[in-house]
Amino acid sequence: MELIIKKDKIKDWLTGLKKDFKVTDTRKKLLPVKQYFFPPKEGLFNFDKKTGKLKTVDNSKDLLLLIGYLSELEAITQLDEIMEKPEKDFFYWQKRDKSVLIGIVNNSFKVPKGGDLILEKINDKEYRTWILNDKGRRLVKDKFFKKVLKPKTVNYPSKPNPFKEMLLDSELLADVVEWSWKANHKIWDELADRCLGCGICTYVCPICHCFSIDDRVTLDDSQCERCREWDACTLPKFSQVVGNHNFHKTIKERYYNWYYHKFVRAYKQFGKAQCVACGSCGKNCPAGIKIGEVLGEIVKDFKKQ
Amino acid sequence: MKNIYEPTKVNIVKVEEHSGSVKLFRLQKEKGSFPVNEKGIVFNPGQFILVSHFGYGEAPFGIASSPFETKYVDIVVRRAGCLTKAMHQLEKGDQIFMRGPYGNGFPVDFMSGKDVVMVTGGCGIPPIASLIEYIIEYRKKFGRTYLVYGARTPKDLLMKDNLKKWERDIKVMLTVDNPDKAWKGHVGIVSALISDIKIDPLDAVSAMCGPGPMMDALERILRPLGISDRRIFVNMERKMQCGVGKCQHCTVGDKFVCQDGPVFHFDEIDKSWD
Repeated sequence: MELIIKKDKIKDWLTGLKKDFKVTDTRKKLLPVKQYFFPPKEGLFNFDKKTGKLKTVDNSKDLLLLIGYLSELEAITQLDEIMEKPEKDFFYWQKRDKSVLIGIVNNSFKVPKGGDLILEKINDKEYRTWILNDKGRRLVKDKFFKKVLKPKTVNYPSKPNPFKEMLLDSELLADVVEWSWKANHKIWDELADRCLGCGICTYVCPICHCFSIDDRVTLDDSQCERCREWDACTLPKFSQVVGNHNFHKTIKERYYNWYYHKFVRAYKQFGKAQCVACGSCGKNCPAGIKIGEVLGEIVKDFKKQ
Repeated sequence: MKNIYEPTKVNIVKVEEHSGSVKLFRLQKEKGSFPVNEKGIVFNPGQFILVSHFGYGEAPFGIASSPFETKYVDIVVRRAGCLTKAMHQLEKGDQIFMRGPYGNGFPVDFMSGKDVVMVTGGCGIPPIASLIEYIIEYRKKFGRTYLVYGARTPKDLLMKDNLKKWERDIKVMLTVDNPDKAWKGHVGIVSALISDIKIDPLDAVSAMCGPGPMMDALERILRPLGISDRRIFVNMERKMQCGVGKCQHCTVGDKFVCQDGPVFHFDEIDKSWD
């Protein structure tokens, strides 16, 4: 028995949900879903300089997000883990705890890797539901969902993604990335020449989560807001301390550090690469660098030696 | 849910000028004392706190006071950037914020029973100071103990009152690069420093804190003394924002200075790519 919703009813169903949630369709947004829980810039605390009182900013909202890619859902599952261990990131979970994630995908898949509810297209007119938890279960208790014994099912295969397959062996990738640096592989000099160090790859990455914390003060010096803002490890001052000492002086070190974090440090910490092969970084890179091609090249050379 | 970023308000109960550009601040809770950890001390020697001066930011500082002191913590602040410049304008009676302690601290259980050589320079003294206070409290548990403390000029040596006090219990060896007329101690890193250190290298440990020049001290003091890299513990400095292992600023290879450190075996750090 499958639970089915008609394509033309999805809009009505979502309209009904608007009374309980702030419903957002993320499918045409440039920035990844992380922005709703970990915004590009957010206030954390307000400090009143006259009274000396400190107030925590409450940014929580009942969000319902419509997400178009399985990779985005998988990324949020990973980000949840990062923001949970070893201690919960208060400002991320303040928003994440109250949110509901609905995947709406056009291709067939075997194992859902995130979200609360997934609508999978099975033919031109219908979507099948995958209920992943209680949050998802509550949403389908609605007149628009019908039980159907054997719905007409068309297979919509996804395009083969060799990069995604490479990620399955994250242990190999960790070894290869570390080896490439120690072996002084020429690719890091070539990439240092190409990379503009703009940081866009980290902003559009659905998992990247570097940030910096800064204080902002009103012009009359009465109020101060402590803000957290996205940072990028490829930016020049990322590892610079007072006195201008920089632990990652060159773009080569900073660009390698991005890979090192995703494929080595992340593997050692969480047992998997912090990449879901979505390709966003490559699509948005002004220098046209594709992370999958970079990994492909060093994996090939690693296997040769 | 606990807010890991929320600092608590503390009173500045003492400000001491230690050199032209360095001040010591004594911080006390508004009410009550600082909680003790599972070892019965307020922090592990070598741990750090994040201090906030709202409007100017937040930064890590090693704790310089004794870990047995529950009433206050001391930090030593060099006027260097925006935050520290603003902090230098604060006076006794002003309030700031802090969170922590964070990090691991020196492995005092591993170190106990062994000879200890501590090497630091300039502003690297605070975490070493808290370690010295720990050693002195448990003096009989540690072997022969030496502090080698260097600075550019005699004026740049910090915590001078403590240096005098510590001399009663441990051997304090001071050295400067540019002496003045009154200076009677060593000049530079000289072999005389090494010949005065009597340890059993196979049963000795070293604790270090400080910037790049400390590597010179490692090559010229600790290596000749025969202390292995695995028994040299270094208190590291990196850019730090969150202090809780999230923001990725303070990494050294696969380690986080804020959580896995700030104290590392030297050989652990030496193998890291950055």
